[in-house]
Amino acid sequence: MRVRGDILRTYQSVHTWTGIVAGLVLFIGFYAGSLTMFEEEITQWATPPSHHLPQVTIDKIDNLITKALDTSENAQQGFKINFNDASSPMTWYEKKGGRGLYLDNVMVHATLSAQGDLITRTEPTNELGDLIDMLHRTAGIAGKVGHENLGVLVLGFASILYFLALVSGVIFLLPTLVKTFFSVRKNKGANRFWLDSHNLVGVVSLPFHLIIAWSVVVFAFHDVLYDGLDLVYGKQPIFEQAKSAPVNYSASQLPPISTYIDKVNELTEGYSIKYIEFSRLSTQRPSVAISVMNTAEMMRNNTGDFIYMNPYTLAPAFSSISMSEDDYYVSYVASFFSLHFGGFGGELGRWLYFVMGLLGAFLFYSGNLLWLEKRRQKKPIQSKSNRFMANLTIGVCLGSILAVVVTLLASKWLYLINAKINNSYVTCYYLVFFAVLIYSFVFGAAKSAIHMQKIIALTCLCIPITTLVAITTPIFSQWNLNAFSNSAIDISALIFAAIFYYGALKTKKRAYFGERNSIWAL
Amino acid sequence: MSRLTSEQKIQPHWWVKTFAGTIFGLTLAYAFVAIFAWFGPGGLDAPAKGQFNMWVLSPIALFVLSFTYLFKTALKAVVYLLSANIIVYSVFFLLRWLS
Repeated sequence: MRVRGDILRTYQSVHTWTGIVAGLVLFIGFYAGSLTMFEEEITQWATPPSHHLPQVTIDKIDNLITKALDTSENAQQGFKINFNDASSPMTWYEKKGGRGLYLDNVMVHATLSAQGDLITRTEPTNELGDLIDMLHRTAGIAGKVGHENLGVLVLGFASILYFLALVSGVIFLLPTLVKTFFSVRKNKGANRFWLDSHNLVGVVSLPFHLIIAWSVVVFAFHDVLYDGLDLVYGKQPIFEQAKSAPVNYSASQLPPISTYIDKVNELTEGYSIKYIEFSRLSTQRPSVAISVMNTAEMMRNNTGDFIYMNPYTLAPAFSSISMSEDDYYVSYVASFFSLHFGGFGGELGRWLYFVMGLLGAFLFYSGNLLWLEKRRQKKPIQSKSNRFMANLTIGVCLGSILAVVVTLLASKWLYLINAKINNSYVTCYYLVFFAVLIYSFVFGAAKSAIHMQKIIALTCLCIPITTLVAITTPIFSQWNLNAFSNSAIDISALIFAAIFYYGALKTKKRAYFGERNSIWAL
Repeated sequence: MSRLTSEQKIQPHWWVKTFAGTIFGLTLAYAFVAIFAWFGPGGLDAPAKGQFNMWVLSPIALFVLSFTYLFKTALKAVVYLLSANIIVYSVFFLLRWLS
């Protein structure tokens, strides 16, 4: 396809500058986003199995609730009934910071013994999955603007640039697209290889990327966008106001749990209940959130859909599933969320989103490398700006990966020394991240790239080793064979160890035998 | 194809084009969504339509911004985008007046 030269050059500039400005934060957002596809599994993997109490059969749950409500004031305010075998049947918070992420929540787990006596166990919660989600949403940028996280706004802004980069990238690829689409030329030098794979990944996953760019802009700026819509709607409210019932109930008036199960079966088809969570039980705005799964449907999130209702009257309040034919906007909106969160296609869908997220991270990383190649000069020492960008790229990308991997590795050992687990995760992440960033600027990108990939490989290798040690050694008394149920994480770590080791070898080869007039030569 | 003279080529004018694309792109998106919100399927009160409308604002605005760099000069970008805004808002207010 022919496109005028000046248009190509214009959009090449747009692509280059939007890419280089937004690339690094988006790299973190993408690879951490990949991990959030398995957020619940990661938390489960990191929590000692001994924290969870054994499940009870459904017919005993009402008995369990009655006994728990008799003993605990906190349970009377709100509690959660879990239906999966890996979790305790009933939990509530002894201490909770409110909405959002809090690092020192304390949770009570409750179950019934074979004789029907109440057994409880109080443990600090493990927030590793949520912390990775936080990293995904903020790229690790701390701080707040109003009630919104600064990092979320930064990623929202980066996503506007990312959208521009996608459109401009496609435009200036058009003339050569058909000819070179599937050609990944290895024999024309490293530069060609990176360019071809950058283009291939970009074009193949373009719909995914457009969806992600769009939804991140929405997530970051929805408040502002709604404010504008208020003008459009005039005096009409965009949201219906929730009516608060001027009646005070108490938790002892709750109907049996089978009532909710029947109600869900009546409202939906093919959904199974994951958990039922009661909150604000003794206020005028009591609520029950029922989390339901149906992998055959487009779910709002990969962790499921939800239905909110009044726990005493069962009056429906809000649902992410459309309940009638007329609610087509509910399903449209749910599908937008679903397309971001990978809430469709079941297990395969999740793994596909995991891979596409990693490919997205690759897109930003290779984009930065291409920027460096384009500005390369035919001399051994490259320009100051080039060296700075190379150090920054290696420091931020590999630093952030290593920081997460080290945190995963540290998790079981931190439980062993009785550290405040969630605070330790945060400290560990930032310590490693900044250490790598500094290392990269002190020793230069070429050396750091090799060293960091080797360290990442080694750390990844140590994760499954730690798991093996934990389930076989008596000093890790909190871990038993159940800890092996989430072995996918350990196996993945092993695969990534191999990938990064191979990467380190290739980088080393380039450093010693590759192009001499390059930032990567040693 | 003959070579373009320098006057015929796209002028960079990055800052003004970016500003025009961002601001007029957003206002244009609101204009289209306003028509859709009042007169589209379901009217103003359909369940979750408010959310749907908020979602579709940003892709319209982003596509307008993306293609703003095709205007030859910054002045043309401003003039054309402003006119598009005036036209679509006129349609909206006309429809409101008629109904």
